[in-house]
Amino acid sequence: MTTPIIDESFVLNALRQVIDPELDCNIVDLGLIYDIQIDGGKVRVTMTLTTPGCPMHESIRWGVQNTLLKLEEIDEAEVDVVWDPPWNPAMMTAAGRERTGVVL
Amino acid sequence: MEASSLTYAASDAPGVPNPSPVGNVARPGPKTGRNCHLPIKKAAIADAHAPSVAIPLRFVVTGILSLFVGVIWLAFRPDILATYHYNQYVIAVTHLFVLGWISSVIMGAMYQLVPVALETRLHSERLARWHFVLHLIGFAGMVAMFWIWDMKQVGHFGSIFGAGVALFAYNLVRTLARIPRWNVIAFGIASALFWLVTTMLAGLFLASAKCWPQINPFEPTASMHAHAHLGVVGFFVMMLVAVSYKLVPMFTLSELQNPRRAFASIVLLNAGLLGLFVTILIGSSWKLAFTLVIIAGLGLYGRELFAILHARKRPALDWGLKQFLTAISLLVPTSVMAVVLCWPKLPATELTAQLENVYGLVALLGVITLAILGMLYKIVPFLVWYTSYSKQIGRSKVPSLSDLYSERLQIISFALFIVGLAAASISTALSAERIVQWSCVVLVLSLAVFAVNMGKILSHLFRPRLAPLSIPSPASRV
Repeated sequence: MTTPIIDESFVLNALRQVIDPELDCNIVDLGLIYDIQIDGGKVRVTMTLTTPGCPMHESIRWGVQNTLLKLEEIDEAEVDVVWDPPWNPAMMTAAGRERTGVVL
Repeated sequence: MEASSLTYAASDAPGVPNPSPVGNVARPGPKTGRNCHLPIKKAAIADAHAPSVAIPLRFVVTGILSLFVGVIWLAFRPDILATYHYNQYVIAVTHLFVLGWISSVIMGAMYQLVPVALETRLHSERLARWHFVLHLIGFAGMVAMFWIWDMKQVGHFGSIFGAGVALFAYNLVRTLARIPRWNVIAFGIASALFWLVTTMLAGLFLASAKCWPQINPFEPTASMHAHAHLGVVGFFVMMLVAVSYKLVPMFTLSELQNPRRAFASIVLLNAGLLGLFVTILIGSSWKLAFTLVIIAGLGLYGRELFAILHARKRPALDWGLKQFLTAISLLVPTSVMAVVLCWPKLPATELTAQLENVYGLVALLGVITLAILGMLYKIVPFLVWYTSYSKQIGRSKVPSLSDLYSERLQIISFALFIVGLAAASISTALSAERIVQWSCVVLVLSLAVFAVNMGKILSHLFRPRLAPLSIPSPASRV
């Protein structure tokens, strides 16, 4: 019998499906995910957005929840959107910077 | 707009999450700030508590239709631009542009953007719906009555429009009262609301003075100029400046570089406009000094905008922003014309009279219209995307905002607009009616291409383009 392992890379991989439509880049490569805590079928994501008052606030937050709850292995998802520390482009991955044309 | 039950604001204390994004997960600290925390179980997925986009969208569509009608109107009646401006037809077309086009779009965008930009909620969506009805009846009636020069009816329709403005201002003031912290953007928006109400009251007074001339102690042309500057500088330019301080950093991944400089730019705009209004009314030569105060405010704004762009992390600018920045650069020739036109003892010649037309044309169709057309490539895709795709993130593969329209059509429309505007400005200065007409035809072509692009965006409302997501599989252990 096999038991699926939900780990951070699995959650991150799933969250790569969520894009910021203005920047046309997924939220993981944008560096918006600050923390992931996994407890069995429960996942808690701490994340930010590129700017306070981002018009996509609701959409992206719900996108994270939709994505996680769509997975069979996850029963409960919690999303914290925080503004501290504020996001900056240095938090992006190299892939994210390449996709969005960001130069540090 | 529906009210959200949660407040999203900056954390007051540090240490909430890991400062570097995952990959290396750190433990979160105590939740001392007001952050968004939303636990949801699988069985209890609710719809996002999202604001309705129907209201901003109807204002924006009304605005675009008014712009179309206005430019076609100019193509059929080029004499409106090619001859001296103080006649009923110029006033009718001008009000179609400033109320039907510019005010509609700015008001619609404010209903959507002010709550998100200032991290609060709109006070009342119901009032906004009533505002739209009053706005539509008011401005359409005013334009028609200006055209046939029935000033009593202008006053009646103006009062309806004014009631709509009152609802709008009340709604926005109540919204501003909720914001967690005041900043330069809120200050600019509050200033713009103040000048909007003042402009509306001045307009109603002018309409009344046409019926009862004894109530206006000021020269009618001066009164009209004062009223026009209240609206254009106070409401339109002020809004442009205020929202730039939020939107330009947001779209270029930059930050406001000097909040004091930004604040000073708005203080100077307010002070300059107050002085300009009074000095135009009383015919004082001091209006030049107050014009220079306004220009100093715009100079600080330009300096701050330059600094924001210089610090941007995203070097490539999209065409919407390029269009917006082109519009802002037209503030330079507009300011030069303003200085010339308020120069003491400027001789009243045919050329200076026509220069007034060019001044109005460049200000309204150049600075304000071009800036709005650029920003509409941000606003309309967002509104449509929000309606069609916001609930689909994480469920299906959704397009990005730039996928909703054709960049090629955007460039063509922009190029045609610049050509049409330049030709219209020169031919207006020279009173060359035939060239004014052909210039307006070019502008109509530009707007037709723009409309095709907007149609492409709006088509996503009726036919969303969704693709399935690939679901990742976790590793398994035996």
